Amino acid sequence: MKLQHYLGGLEGLGPITVETRVFVEEWEKRIFGIHTAMMALSPQLPLPATPSAFHTVWTWAHLRTGAEGLNPFDYFKYRYYEKWLGGISGYFIENGYITEEELDARTAEYLADPEKPLPQGGAPEIDRRVERYLAEGDSPKRDVAILPDFQEGDTVTVRNVPTLEHTRLPGFLRNHSGVVETVYPGAYGYLTDTGTDGVGAPMPVYCVRFEAKDLWPGNTEPNVTLYADLYAAYVTKPTA
Amino acid sequence: MTDRFHHPDDREARSAARVRALEALLIEKGVITSKTVDTVLNVFETKMGPFNGARIVARAWVDPAFKQRLVADAPAAIAELTDLPEGMAGAEGEHMRAVANGEGVHNLVICTLCSCYPWPVLGLPPYWYKDPTFRSRAAREPRAVLKEFGLTVPESTEVKVWDSSAQIRWFVIPERPAGTEGMSENQLAALVTPEAMMGVAVAASA
Repeated sequence: MKLQHYLGGLEGLGPITVETRVFVEEWEKRIFGIHTAMMALSPQLPLPATPSAFHTVWTWAHLRTGAEGLNPFDYFKYRYYEKWLGGISGYFIENGYITEEELDARTAEYLADPEKPLPQGGAPEIDRRVERYLAEGDSPKRDVAILPDFQEGDTVTVRNVPTLEHTRLPGFLRNHSGVVETVYPGAYGYLTDTGTDGVGAPMPVYCVRFEAKDLWPGNTEPNVTLYADLYAAYVTKPTA
Repeated sequence: MTDRFHHPDDREARSAARVRALEALLIEKGVITSKTVDTVLNVFETKMGPFNGARIVARAWVDPAFKQRLVADAPAAIAELTDLPEGMAGAEGEHMRAVANGEGVHNLVICTLCSCYPWPVLGLPPYWYKDPTFRSRAAREPRAVLKEFGLTVPESTEVKVWDSSAQIRWFVIPERPAGTEGMSENQLAALVTPEAMMGVAVAASA
């Protein structure tokens, strides 16, 4: 369990930084594009094969696992896309696509001559698959007959599951109780298996309503309700 | 604004060189093509972006029955708008829900774990949404946060905060500004910002 899993409600932080741009540096666009292409070319997707050399799985969950796996002080030291650049370069090195030496040498070349052109070429099927992935998406919804344990209006308690690197459970909700607002139809899988944390196989997803005054007694604002979408593995019957 | 997004020039130059080196190597190794990154960026300039959300909101303002359907089943209602680009149920838009601001209710969308965001209708999340300070504070003291964005929400108005931590991507239908009765849908769409559709702002006045 990491500080980055417990962000909701942290006290003593400064003012908000209202930066409405998506990218604050041109280079950030390039790493976003590479990440999106990796998701699109990942072989588990039901899309036509292409001549891309990409043969290992890469999903959102892999990016998040890397970021959440960081030392918390590093997590907050790096800007959003700096974490992406570190995680994605590391992935290509660890999986043998490139070597660290190659990357360092090429980085030095582009540092010396930022205008040096990129190599040209590549099979157009790769780009067609990327466009098709963006247009079609990758729904985690699965058509399996799993009945939900809870109905709308039921009170549920959030479990305190043992989480290692990656979770989809906001830490500030652990051990708190709320009321099921919506039972989403069907079952939802997740992009990876979070192990003892409990998410991976298809399961119901609930929207659960919490009163802010119950989450942070005496230390929140009046008339605030918080709704969280939670996988079934994260909720249980209240014990009392 | 703090100086969080300003760093010495060398830090950015190094990151820029490293990502260019990575892109070059991936092209040479046959992972991506020399057009792949631009292909992705082009989708977010022309097909997936806040221009879609603005049109959806404008339609909800002029057609209350459509607004009801949008809140009840966002993907089905969005699919009615056949003049939107393809891909409204595409990446990160597979399961979207809309919540409407109204008398006594203000909605705010957050993601305390990362940056879940409805790409097809809103494009990519702006930096404020990904900022750990926003993600932390908006859960516990949303009114104080909204005030820093320039929006005062009285205590008599319920603030509903939606933390997107599973597979559902949320957006807000802001209230139609006063004095816009004679405006066309295109003119109305121009009043709708990404910030209004995530609940840290309201739609611009006419």
